[in-house]
Amino acid sequence: MPKHKPKRGNPTIDMTAMCDVAFLLLTFFMLTAKAKPQETVIVDTPSSISETKLPDAGTLTILIAKDGKIFLDMAGQHTRKSLIDDVNSRFQMGLTEEEKIDFSNAGSFGVPRNRLKQWLDADNPERAKFPTDGIPVDTADINKNELADWIHNARLAQFRMKQDGKVKDEYVMVVKADKDTPYPAVQKVINTLVDINVNKFNLITSMESGPEKKGKEVPKTGE
Amino acid sequence: MAEMQTAESGGGKKGKKVRSKKMSTRVDLTPMVDLGFLLITFFMLTTTLAKPQIMALVMPDKDIKEDQAEPVKESKVLTLLLGANDKVYWYEGITDAKLDSTDYSAEGMRKVILDKMEKVKAQWDLQDYEDFKTKEPRKGSFINVIIKPTKEARYKNLVDALDEMSITKVRYYVILDISKLEEDFIKNPAAGLKFNAEAQLEAATK
Repeated sequence: MPKHKPKRGNPTIDMTAMCDVAFLLLTFFMLTAKAKPQETVIVDTPSSISETKLPDAGTLTILIAKDGKIFLDMAGQHTRKSLIDDVNSRFQMGLTEEEKIDFSNAGSFGVPRNRLKQWLDADNPERAKFPTDGIPVDTADINKNELADWIHNARLAQFRMKQDGKVKDEYVMVVKADKDTPYPAVQKVINTLVDINVNKFNLITSMESGPEKKGKEVPKTGE
Repeated sequence: MAEMQTAESGGGKKGKKVRSKKMSTRVDLTPMVDLGFLLITFFMLTTTLAKPQIMALVMPDKDIKEDQAEPVKESKVLTLLLGANDKVYWYEGITDAKLDSTDYSAEGMRKVILDKMEKVKAQWDLQDYEDFKTKEPRKGSFINVIIKPTKEARYKNLVDALDEMSITKVRYYVILDISKLEEDFIKNPAAGLKFNAEAQLEAATK
């Protein structure tokens, strides 16, 4: 009997190495994961069969809410800083350096230009409650179209950053609209984009759900 | 694992259990590893799945000169008017157009497009074209689809229509603004679509 005992031994595996690997990977994924930016508006995108993924390059996103309000979001702190510097000096908005930095770190925004300062002054919990009217779009007069101005100058700012070597790519234009957005609101945005010679852009869609996708098999006709 | 072991030895001889307890000084890392891998799975899935799908859309240049635009054969044109309440109105060609309505299902809009393709194929036969990516010569039925969402249409309708374009492999389609004539046409389809030459050109280019 006493002979058997040491032979049996302890069947426990040493977990230390496995634990090390697990936490190394965990750290890696946590650091590479991008924090989801705070969304000022909830947008439920329509589904589509398209399976193209959004490219890694910086995006300039135009959000169109259910009620047709328009919001803008752009990637890149440097670009946003450069953009707000430019807009601030052109329209004499009187933003302080602190407010400008706040803008470059903020997520999407949807306030008219004349109220941007107030919006930036509001602290985070207040900012969520800040009345947003969306960015004004005037399709009749391109000079009064704030959306056109923002997009055009954001792209210019991104181009400057690219020349400075701070970013690799120019902006990928993305339109993210709610599936129940009335078409005239979408039309205004598309017309604005075409007006400033942005003819190629991407519509964000979500994955088509199972049963519906089955019905959408590609027919052979015409090919 | 550790719990199972104690249960086993607990069920066995009592004298040995005391000794093994004395000896084990190390911490069981199994739950920690479990937690670690659970979190890894979570982060892996959220990072890769967070990337949204996109659908590329190319709009025509705003100032195309008239002489640059290539004329399109009327018999190849199919116009889809995206109406209210998820309804699609459609007509073929321009002269003496008859309005019909359908929905976004596979039996609805897709059938309309495929029928039109068959019709064009019967009349004009298949045409050669080069595959956009692989540059392989291919044969296909060419139709021109004009998508005109009305003011009552939802954004989802537009995306559905564009989806249908890629499913049926329509190579030429364009999104245009709806004209007054067509709005009246939807309200009163019996009156017919009376395009005169100028309105026809305007409706086709605008």
